[in-house]
Amino acid sequence: MPRISKHAIIEPSAELADDVRIGPFSYVGPDVRIGSGCRIDNNVTIVGRTTLGDRTRVFPLAVIGAAAPHEETPGECVLGEANAIREHVTIYSGIDSPTQIGNHNLIMIASQIGSGAIVGDHGIFDNYVQIGPHAYVEDYVRMSGFATVGPGAKVGAYSFVAGYARVDDDAPPYAMIQGFPVRVRGINTRNLQACGFGKDDIHALKLAFRELFNGRGQEVNRGALERLGDGKGVNAHVRRLVEAVRAALDTAGGSGDA
Amino acid sequence: MPSLSVLREIDPAARIAPDAVVGPYCVVGPDVIIGPATVLTRRVTVVGRTRIGSGNVIGEGCVLGGEPQDLKYDGERTLLIIGHRNRFGRDVTAHIGTEGGGLLTRIGNDNVFADGAHVAHDCYVDDRVRLGRSVLLAGHIRVQTAAVIEGLSGLHHFVTVGRHARILRQTPVRRDVPPFTLFGSDTHGAASQPSVVGPNEEGIAAAGLSAEEQRELRYALGELFDEESALQTKIEQLVNLGVEGEAARLCEFCNRSLQGVYGRYRELYRGKMPPEADRFLPPDSGLEPRRRLT
Repeated sequence: MPRISKHAIIEPSAELADDVRIGPFSYVGPDVRIGSGCRIDNNVTIVGRTTLGDRTRVFPLAVIGAAAPHEETPGECVLGEANAIREHVTIYSGIDSPTQIGNHNLIMIASQIGSGAIVGDHGIFDNYVQIGPHAYVEDYVRMSGFATVGPGAKVGAYSFVAGYARVDDDAPPYAMIQGFPVRVRGINTRNLQACGFGKDDIHALKLAFRELFNGRGQEVNRGALERLGDGKGVNAHVRRLVEAVRAALDTAGGSGDA
Repeated sequence: MPSLSVLREIDPAARIAPDAVVGPYCVVGPDVIIGPATVLTRRVTVVGRTRIGSGNVIGEGCVLGGEPQDLKYDGERTLLIIGHRNRFGRDVTAHIGTEGGGLLTRIGNDNVFADGAHVAHDCYVDDRVRLGRSVLLAGHIRVQTAAVIEGLSGLHHFVTVGRHARILRQTPVRRDVPPFTLFGSDTHGAASQPSVVGPNEEGIAAAGLSAEEQRELRYALGELFDEESALQTKIEQLVNLGVEGEAARLCEFCNRSLQGVYGRYRELYRGKMPPEADRFLPPDSGLEPRRRLT
């Protein structure tokens, strides 16, 4: 039997796994599906065509699947397994394409995920982080408080985005990203070590970063990009970095922003 | 009898003073104590092991006593202790402590928290502190008496904010803020490092110091923060001059920050019991301070 508070409001057509727990004064809309082992606290709102994967935790006053401010009705929103959605978080649903959140993310207090945004796995998003509509945040990213990702912008895997940083275009993977406009401050060594990267990989990335981003980390050294882009004998992670940086240059119209 | 609203959920095990008010759509968990004349307005959640004193007013959507946002937290039954006469705006959040950080989060008396302010695990907020909108206190922070933190400022783990200091709005604070100073920055560029931008005259006037003490404090503030370099030397010079009272305490504060990591004295308590835990942990809490000295 589901353990659902007598004060929770669950629309009859919502699909809930048997062991779901829902606290008082929460609302679950008609097109919502909630997987096994989920725990929804009090005063939570879940609307739209929203799916929560198994073992999701939703804390008080979070809103999932809300219609974006300029939309009249909510769209689609898909969350993977074992995410923690903390107090006052808002996740907007997507209209053209669903908002997608992977697995094992921690989304801290009052953060917002925009309509149609895609978030990978194992991300940690501190309080007040904003991820814009249709932005793409890859796996193992950590964003510090008040950091923002603009509409359609991208944050590469394993990167750390420092507090108050504003990612407007595409930020590379494996990087420490800081500032306003953002600069690449170096390689995110601690996170790479925590994620089990070997010494050789980290060393290769460190050398590549030193070549690719000059002193202040705002511009890309195109010569180095060509050299590393040859691909022969290049470390797989370095290749991924080079490809991401090149793609970023292409989308930024060659303005040289990292 | 507490004033009853129709729709609210109070665990029968919660202990709520007879004249406390619990408004509609509030949720109060089993291990919560709420003192006299405290008002939970509407949609307030109080969970965890939370002790709230008397005369507090808690605004709509506040969540007090939630689990720490710390990956090391593993369900330990730690505390959130809130004193008397505090005012919480809307959507304020405060979390219980962690075992590794000292077992409790503590908020003193007569503090004001604006909408969306956040007090993380293992923080100590003293008395008469004012937090602006959406101010983010990360874990293990100490905010001393009568400090003011303006809106949208974010403080790094283990920062100490000195008494009667004022942090200007939207400041990313990565190191200790000395007492009686104004602290801020002009830009958010990558190279920007917020710093002391002057004395906090308002704080100096409010602290009830003698004219002589004020004069000496202003002199010390002027000497210490003229330029960034060689703070250590300037502290030594002032100490050799034999400054007393608040000026001496200011020197001591700055000296401690220099001893810490990246200008954060409390980093030295990482993984250890902070001294405040001994002072504020209630003897009947059943929590055993575990000292992990390295």
